Amino acid sequence: MNLKEKVLNELKTVYDPELNINVVDLGLIYNVEIADDADVTITMTLTTPGCPLHDSITKGVRYCVEGIEETRNVEVNLVWEPAWSPDKMTAEGKSYLGR
Amino acid sequence: MLPQNMGNETNIKLPFSFIFFSIVALVFSQILLLLNGQMMVDGSFRLPAIWSSAHLLILGWALMVAMGAMYQLVPVAFLTNIWNEKFGFIQFFVTAAGIASFSGMLYCAPQKAMIPGILTLVGILMFLFQMVMTLKKQAKPTILTAFVGSALVCLFLTIFLGITLIYCLKTGIGAEYYQTIFKIHLLMGITGWFTLLIFGFSYKMVPMFSLSHGFPMVQARYVYSIYVSGLVITIISFISNNSVLTKIGFFLLLAGFSIFSWHISIIIKKRLKKKLDKPFTFALLAIGFGNLIHLAAFIVLRTRSFSTLAGPLIYSYLLLWIVLSIVGYLYKIVPFLWWTYKYSKEIGKNAVPSLKDMMNEKIVVPLFSLFVAAVLIVFTSFVFKAAILFNIGQFILSIVLIVISYSILSVLKK
Repeated sequence: MNLKEKVLNELKTVYDPELNINVVDLGLIYNVEIADDADVTITMTLTTPGCPLHDSITKGVRYCVEGIEETRNVEVNLVWEPAWSPDKMTAEGKSYLGR
Repeated sequence: MLPQNMGNETNIKLPFSFIFFSIVALVFSQILLLLNGQMMVDGSFRLPAIWSSAHLLILGWALMVAMGAMYQLVPVAFLTNIWNEKFGFIQFFVTAAGIASFSGMLYCAPQKAMIPGILTLVGILMFLFQMVMTLKKQAKPTILTAFVGSALVCLFLTIFLGITLIYCLKTGIGAEYYQTIFKIHLLMGITGWFTLLIFGFSYKMVPMFSLSHGFPMVQARYVYSIYVSGLVITIISFISNNSVLTKIGFFLLLAGFSIFSWHISIIIKKRLKKKLDKPFTFALLAIGFGNLIHLAAFIVLRTRSFSTLAGPLIYSYLLLWIVLSIVGYLYKIVPFLWWTYKYSKEIGKNAVPSLKDMMNEKIVVPLFSLFVAAVLIVFTSFVFKAAILFNIGQFILSIVLIVISYSILSVLKK
């Protein structure tokens, strides 16, 4: 398993506490970039720009990736474009919502 | 892609202070009502104990909850930080001292309620100032800004007219306008401030809690313009004592509320979350009750029974629309605040509970159903002037509200 896969795998332990779905299956993670084998940049969004859990979820993502031994610097970029939409969810994510 | 880091989370001690105070006020208001409410059955609503209980419920509970919730939700809904949190804490202490002494004085010596009333007014004015300064920072005003901004104007008018009423009572000056001022005070406080505020925040909270996407927002403009027109025309009708204008005003209020209900149903149909949380479902049910009461008010206005039924209708509007909405949302807001306080530093490091795990949802359906039943019993007791029904209904209601308060506070054990 390479580092990118490892990061994505670990991010599945970070849950949106309101929906109780992890950030990967919820489709919040847009991109994971690895530079110099250990510097990680995560580009992510939230379901709505006024999400009250804004700080908690982004910090959670950072803490989680920082906890992986092979990582050195972790940067989390929160973006609103493209906006999150339901089609960004995985089939598993949708099934949590009863879809 | 434009990176944005908009951390708008408020220091949770601020909204929590308001919510704690409000829950204590709610319990006291219910005890007062239980001990003194029998006279309401005879249609005597204007009694010191009832004034005290009503103001504890409306100012001490509903207004303080609304303020606490706004300290939490305004940054979320308007993507801007609270203007000055320190000022917010001072505002809390001033308002809490004002409301506690004001309600106490209304009970013991209403003629001396002027000074505590002014202290309450100062606290509320500080809140309005805080909100105006916060909303001014908003980059792009939206229809939510119009709802919340207008609600704040109505709150100011309510308090200003309330103080005027005490002044009239104390000095006898302007006694001939007392009735008119009293009616506008009620209209602004109940339908102006609370309804517009709940409308505004519902447009943020309903999509958030149901995970709705791709719904139209054009209806919100009609809701706003029609409902606010209804408020203005009803005020004019009270001042001019014109019954035709009152009917038009009531019709517009009904139309505005009906469009809001319809719009919310469209948003709910577009939801991704198939199974909605129970407290949120009751907050949605409150919309149906509010709509029904607007319809009843419009119908009753055309009959001769309006003066008899106005009190019971206002009572049911307060309980089944405003209180039920607020309690429904409190079951979402309090766990969120506590979760943020306790677990936001743990997420990503350790396993953390979901917000749903923070509340005992099993008791919600029986508890809220009992609440609705109790309000209907009290409403019936008012209509038929049946003291025994009142005692039964109010006893159930007080117990239910105390259990609800306990259940909301029990989240702090999680």
